[in-house]
Amino acid sequence: MIEVRDLVKTYGELRAVNGIDLDVRAGEVYSILGPNGAGKTTSVEIMECLRIKTSGEVRILGFDIEKEQKEIRKRIGVLPQSFNAFDYLTVKENIDYFGALFDERIPSNELIDAVQLQDKRNVWFKNLSGGLKQRVGVAISMVNDPEVVFLDEPTTGLDPKARREVWEVIRGLKSQNKTIILTTHYMEEAEVLSDHVAIMDDGKFIAMGTPREIIDRYGSGSTSVVKAANDAAVNVVKASGMDHEVKDGDLLVKLEDNKSLTRLVGMLSSPDVAYNEMLIKGTTLEDVFLKLTGKKLASEVEQ
Amino acid sequence: MRLRHVLVDLKGQSKAFFRIKSNIFWTLAFPLFLILVFGAIFSAMGSEDIKLYVQDLDGEAGADMFLENITITGAVTVEMVDATVDIDQYIKDNSRTNVLIIPANFTEALMSNGTEVATVQLRLDETVSTSSVVRNVVGSVINHFNLGMSGGQEYLAMDVGGIVNERFSFLDFFVPGVIGLTVMTTCVFGVQATVSRFRAAGIFRKLATTPMTPFEWLVSRMIWFLFISFLTLAVVMVFGILVFGMSMTLNLPSLLMVIAASAMFSALGMIIARFVKNEETANMASNAIIFPMMFLSGTFFQLEMMPDYMQDIASVLPLTYVSQGLRDAMVYGNLEGAYTNLMVVAVIAVIFVAVAVLVTKWEEE
Repeated sequence: MIEVRDLVKTYGELRAVNGIDLDVRAGEVYSILGPNGAGKTTSVEIMECLRIKTSGEVRILGFDIEKEQKEIRKRIGVLPQSFNAFDYLTVKENIDYFGALFDERIPSNELIDAVQLQDKRNVWFKNLSGGLKQRVGVAISMVNDPEVVFLDEPTTGLDPKARREVWEVIRGLKSQNKTIILTTHYMEEAEVLSDHVAIMDDGKFIAMGTPREIIDRYGSGSTSVVKAANDAAVNVVKASGMDHEVKDGDLLVKLEDNKSLTRLVGMLSSPDVAYNEMLIKGTTLEDVFLKLTGKKLASEVEQ
Repeated sequence: MRLRHVLVDLKGQSKAFFRIKSNIFWTLAFPLFLILVFGAIFSAMGSEDIKLYVQDLDGEAGADMFLENITITGAVTVEMVDATVDIDQYIKDNSRTNVLIIPANFTEALMSNGTEVATVQLRLDETVSTSSVVRNVVGSVINHFNLGMSGGQEYLAMDVGGIVNERFSFLDFFVPGVIGLTVMTTCVFGVQATVSRFRAAGIFRKLATTPMTPFEWLVSRMIWFLFISFLTLAVVMVFGILVFGMSMTLNLPSLLMVIAASAMFSALGMIIARFVKNEETANMASNAIIFPMMFLSGTFFQLEMMPDYMQDIASVLPLTYVSQGLRDAMVYGNLEGAYTNLMVVAVIAVIFVAVAVLVTKWEEE
């Protein structure tokens, strides 16, 4: 569906996209995950025919991105970053406006049903909350019944509840067998929604695969977090030779295999050992990103 | 270009426009507000005082009679110029725009029973709107004389009556200017603000993913602001006629002028918005262009009242020709002047629209 080879985009000295390759199959959700400024939006805007590449090759649905833009535009749907529609048109009027620009289109009422905005049908766009606006944006991106849908940071700036509502809409698109390219800087979003993920930093993909593959390849297993562990707990773990560290009063113990947990629980049952609780924390894409780049994904605190 | 795309945008724009109350105020109520305020201020000043400077080189009874006939029309005030001065130098030194020279043998020629023609010399600055009034007044008095000499008393009476009624109030001068001014502000601010807002809100980025072209969008917006310009014209005319009892004519040159002015100012708004990308700076740039035009283009007061150098500035401002042309077409009945001004506006409009078409793009790179 989408083939990208050695794509480069430069702005003067800056290489915003620095030679990326990408293959997206039909019907999958492919997320490009990375912090602000990583080059995600520039990359997808080239695929959306909104920016001109400096070099490399991009084919969308078999059409060349430079020579066959008209054919591509007919077949793709786009939710741009920071999406806005016409403030003083209603939800239905906005969907009708964009739909009428295409030769083939889905009736607006069907789209309104799909994004569950039936009760907001006649509300002006300006009076909608951020989450509802994004749902309108998703509906508009579907007006021409596209084969490929680009969703550029669809949940940025939304509260957790609104974010999950948008996730449901994206799952609905996936169930219709649409191919979805999703850019996000929310690790959880990429993990929950994606079949494949490409982690991007400084214009390059630094890891690609399914979320599980990436975690398995770059992750470092699970960690047991022993909250408010006392000195006796630390000493007993230290004496066992297990990989561990003390951080903010918590004892973090690396679990190498299934037996490690049983062993740890046994050690912590000594009468002089005290702690509040014990949690098991698996490796996340956030941990992988931190490990690969030494940086944290931005705005994760918003969650 | 696909007409359907233009119609889709026009439909959306028309719905959104009338839902914003401030749009209705600035487009329809504001010009009426201007007319009411300035009408109240200036109506006390009475008729527009058009001065005709006369050098009488004859000094005989025929010249006196001719000047008396001009004076009784009430349309102009005669100011005498000493017969000994060099009239060319006088015109230059005093920036006179309406000068009548009665030749030395005027009375003698008048009394020659047609063997000699008494020719007065009228020196007019054609770029000044009052020149058409002066030309009409002097021409009518000459007709009066000719008809009188040939015994056509009936024609004389009717003609004189027509002249006496032809007095122009401040509002006659002001209202066409308000139409021009409103077309300018509506089109320049309207298009510039739309482009700036759509760019900042990412709507252009979204439109770029549709089959609609930037040219189709531009055409739609220009048609829309032409409609608004006509709406302004209609509202102001109806108000002027019903409330102030004005006699304005809606004719071909006035309609063509509104079309040309609307296209010119819409294109100017587009050009400003494309070259000044920041929304706030673009608003300031529009103000910087509009405000000088508003005050220097003869909307609120006549150009002749301004110093020479200000008149030179006014002569390069497009609104000057719009207001002048509308006045000539709608009030003074000077069709020649109207078409001359229309030509100037049309040429500028073609240039501005061509530039606007070239610079209108979805992409921001």
